[in-house]
Amino acid sequence: MVNLAEQINDVISAETAFTLAATVLVLGLVVAYLVWRWTHTLFRRTGLDDVVEGTTIERGAGRFGTSTAGIVGGLLALSVYGVAVLFAFNVAQVFDTSVFWAQVTALLPKLLVAAFAVIVGFIVGDEAELVVQERLRSVKLPEASVLPRLVKYSIYYIAALIALAQVGVATTALLVLLTAYVFGVVLLAAVAFKDLLASGAAGIYLLLNQPYSIGDEVRVDDRRGIVQEMTIFVTHVEADGKEYIIPNSRVFRGGIVRIRE
Amino acid sequence: MSGMETVVEEIIADVDAVLLFSTDQSTYDRFEGDERPTIVVGTDNAVGAEVYVPLPLEFAQTSARVRFGIEGAIDQGLLEEDDEVVGLTQSFSESRLDTAVRVRADEFTHSGVYDLFVNSRADSEVVRDVLEVAIELGRKGQKGKPVGALFVVGDAGKVMNKSRPLSYNPFEKSHVDVGDPIVNVMLKEFSRLDGAFVISDGGKIVSAYRYLEPGAEGVDIPKGLGARHMAGGAITRDTNAVAIVLSESDGMVRAFKAGSLVLELDPEEY
Repeated sequence: MVNLAEQINDVISAETAFTLAATVLVLGLVVAYLVWRWTHTLFRRTGLDDVVEGTTIERGAGRFGTSTAGIVGGLLALSVYGVAVLFAFNVAQVFDTSVFWAQVTALLPKLLVAAFAVIVGFIVGDEAELVVQERLRSVKLPEASVLPRLVKYSIYYIAALIALAQVGVATTALLVLLTAYVFGVVLLAAVAFKDLLASGAAGIYLLLNQPYSIGDEVRVDDRRGIVQEMTIFVTHVEADGKEYIIPNSRVFRGGIVRIRE
Repeated sequence: MSGMETVVEEIIADVDAVLLFSTDQSTYDRFEGDERPTIVVGTDNAVGAEVYVPLPLEFAQTSARVRFGIEGAIDQGLLEEDDEVVGLTQSFSESRLDTAVRVRADEFTHSGVYDLFVNSRADSEVVRDVLEVAIELGRKGQKGKPVGALFVVGDAGKVMNKSRPLSYNPFEKSHVDVGDPIVNVMLKEFSRLDGAFVISDGGKIVSAYRYLEPGAEGVDIPKGLGARHMAGGAITRDTNAVAIVLSESDGMVRAFKAGSLVLELDPEEY
């Protein structure tokens, strides 16, 4: 960059440099505005507007008289304009920008990424909460309402972590916490879903190969009857008005006897 | 003007319950807090009402809709036989209530059609899906020609043991569910095949091309219906299945349960 400034100094006079700098400023302004406009159009075209509708960030933005598109557009425009201003300074040689320039170029993308991480985190978190809520709608248990919120705050936490790490704040402690949390969730899920997973794995084999099918008479353990239904997790076997619902893991472990007469 | 008001007041006087055929939240909210019970009737419980009667189909005719609603409400014990009810529904408008009907709950003979959906072995959604497929098939036919079809829903294990294959089963080792959108097209093509479709409790198409071999004694179906109806009716007597038959000759969709005819629909009306 220093080279560039020196070269410019060599080639052109101070006045021309100043005019050039002013032009760069005006051009930067125009480009920044175009970027801002373009973000709005992009949001509308891709349907992102509908996606972010009603999320926390959109509501927060609405309170300041703008929208998510406005914030993202503003951020982009600001960075474009910032680059233009720095470039103009550099050209006009108002002050020795080389050090400043180096720092800003290093920090600016990071700040941008951090801001985006926060915005995306908020949006994804809210959307995930809605999705989980929708899925659990038929479960009318008060305990179930904790789950969507848990999902939301987990996503917020990760977004915040990414943002902080970008800016350069020490996040090791938070990262350890996250690891412990994820480990706990995975462990709990593994314990809780152990039987379901085993049945599911067996069920995939049974459904693909169909060693027995609906209507066959079979014996599993000491239950004998007609197969009425096969799903990924269980097999329904019916005999004398009793319908046994047998986990597929059991079918697989114990083996099946097909009765042919 | 007063004459009209008297008539309207007479319609709503002393009713025991209101049947609300609307899935509009704001309409439902207006009825909240009324002293007489409001029963929401619809294909889905969009308003989250506590007293709700599911409708198996989107009935186009007001009379059919009211009738099914009342039958469902009686089956659920929400109405007594001698209750007077007012049904609020749409006849012409697509979106807002425009019709009030006053009916005595026992005005219709109990056909057991509600029973067909709710108390069948198969899931009520599966029965509904199959009925929709049959209606669709009846309306469009196969390449414009009328087709017949026989679906045996539920108790598939027993049905399979009371039938034999006519040819290779095209659904062998496949995982096709009647709820899938592709099924309409697929069944339309397969309806050329002779024999019955067997569908499990959970909606899986187990087999096509089945020749049903039930004992036909004691089956009470109207005279004049053909072999397809007889086979369908008879299998429901021998098993806990429900049979849904699309007639090739008159294009009607009929449902059988426990050996008797419980529902007769004209596909053109839906």
